[in-house]
Amino acid sequence: MEYALGNVWMGVMIVVIMFAAFYYIGWVSSRKTASEADFYAAGFSIGPITNGLGMAATWASLATFLGVIALIQKLQVPFVYLWIQWAISIPLLTLLYGTSLRRMKAFTPGTFIKARYGKPSTVVIVCWMMLIMVMYALGQMIGLGQAFELLFGVPYNIGLIVAGVATVGFIAMGGMYGASYNAAFQMVVMTIAMVVPMGAIMKSMGSSGWWFPPLAYGDMVPAMLEMLPTFFDMKYDVRWYFALIPAFTLGPVALPHLAMRVFTSSSVKSARWAGVWFALFLGLLFAGTYTAGFAGNYFVATTGKVIAKADQTLLILNVFYNPTLVAAFVMGGALAAGLSTVGGNLMAISGLVGNDLMSIIAPNMQSKQRMKWGYLALILGGVSAILLAFNPPKFLVTSILWAFGLLATTATPAILLGVWWKEANKLALIFSSSICGFLYIIISPYVMPSLVVGTGMAASLGMASGMVTVPLSFAMFIVMSIVFNRIPALTAYAPTLADKKVIDSIHGWGDEYEETRYNGIITPLIISVVCMLIVWWGLQPWS
Amino acid sequence: MKEKLYKKEIWITVIFSILLLLVGHSATIFRIFPSMQQGTIWGFPTHYILPIILGWFGLMAVCALMAIVCNKFDDEMESLADQAKSDRIAVSKQA
Repeated sequence: MEYALGNVWMGVMIVVIMFAAFYYIGWVSSRKTASEADFYAAGFSIGPITNGLGMAATWASLATFLGVIALIQKLQVPFVYLWIQWAISIPLLTLLYGTSLRRMKAFTPGTFIKARYGKPSTVVIVCWMMLIMVMYALGQMIGLGQAFELLFGVPYNIGLIVAGVATVGFIAMGGMYGASYNAAFQMVVMTIAMVVPMGAIMKSMGSSGWWFPPLAYGDMVPAMLEMLPTFFDMKYDVRWYFALIPAFTLGPVALPHLAMRVFTSSSVKSARWAGVWFALFLGLLFAGTYTAGFAGNYFVATTGKVIAKADQTLLILNVFYNPTLVAAFVMGGALAAGLSTVGGNLMAISGLVGNDLMSIIAPNMQSKQRMKWGYLALILGGVSAILLAFNPPKFLVTSILWAFGLLATTATPAILLGVWWKEANKLALIFSSSICGFLYIIISPYVMPSLVVGTGMAASLGMASGMVTVPLSFAMFIVMSIVFNRIPALTAYAPTLADKKVIDSIHGWGDEYEETRYNGIITPLIISVVCMLIVWWGLQPWS
Repeated sequence: MKEKLYKKEIWITVIFSILLLLVGHSATIFRIFPSMQQGTIWGFPTHYILPIILGWFGLMAVCALMAIVCNKFDDEMESLADQAKSDRIAVSKQA
């Protein structure tokens, strides 16, 4: 079975209505944008409910509707576990550095890196972040092009141009105000599109729990176990489950577009409450996704029908069980998921280039001028993603999950140790981030297949290599910092008093500086030892 | 007072980091202790539905608790900073 909408005009109608709403929100938002703070951080004004919706929408990508369900079909329950842990990323980043950076009114994590480590380190970290944002946006653009191809039956290239240009247009128009309000609206659309039609599908499948699809399909379990006894098996060993932490929990913690959602909060306290709403909304959507994955497996097992493209499972279920209008609306929900993520990606590229890099290249540039560069970077980032999506280079279309491990290796130690440890050294950051970043690429299966850590999915998704390079990056950064800070010839790279004052100030101490705070050596050394033990564990042969 | 607040901040961060990791990675516990993979909740195997519930409502509860505790901690920090500021003003006036 393959997805085909009975009436193409239904799809056209849904997409036109949705884009009209996005452009209207973008246009209203553009009238509020007068300064850099407005453009990059929505004037630090977004309330907790809107921000919770926006956070959830930015996190939930096109994969929530397409790729995840296919992977649940392939890997069954272990992939559900993998997906569950994504939800802790934003609360964890809020706790570990989000509120601290919101306190300093940062636009991106790069703003903090520049204040804490100086210009050369900022260039290194921003370049890694840009690479990952481009990979992320490219994946979404390809998905949007394919979605238009599916919806309207047009060739992929035409679908890509129309979807890409229309998307970049409304994001560029509204800046972060538009991205925030649009993301909140898109989250409502995608949640309804995921959950409500699923209720109808479950009713048709004979489940008495159709009234609450996310959690009430337990009566379908016995039939499922009869047809597919391995569905609930945990399958992998403990190390597979542990390896989710370095690559997939610590990677997203440093994603600039997620951090920027926290920075848009109206206050530090509101950022924390936004996390509660985020957990509620994202939990509802994700639970709906697990239901769809379960229903897809159930459908295949009980009807004997074959779904040729597992990516399309949710859409096929809707075409099979629901009216055409509903099936078109579900596709609209998938589009909304892709658009909200692209919005976040492009705003992050804009902030990293327009604010962070431009303030290094042209430090005397006026704020208004920098904002224009931000607009230009956003549009160029979007156009680049569209152009790359025509014939994507292989190394850029590697799963975005793999890129999370790269980010955890290169950027997460820089941010976390920078916020929590005064000894963190500028040169140590450049060395550990660059060396471990390239090591991660080398020991993944995409460059030198003969030099790979791990096997199968653990290797291809970067879990195995991340389990080596993420703790190694932390350990190298810590040990090198301690050594470099004590070499007189490297004094220029040691943290200055001003760098250290940044740390006290972002933790809320105001002008009350205290040298001994966040400045121990024993605890970081213990962390290094633990990290090296994890590296050793990760290097053991994978079965 | 400052030292006490500093230690409190560290402990709050460590405890909530652990709690967040626990609710996000509760499946690992079922893998470490396979004997826990028994029984059902609402018709689902426990080791399937519990991680989903913890990753949703458990996470919400931890986030709510985190907001309450951390926001209260911020108030304490602010009052300390205000106190230090007024002390400095008083000292400079005396000088």
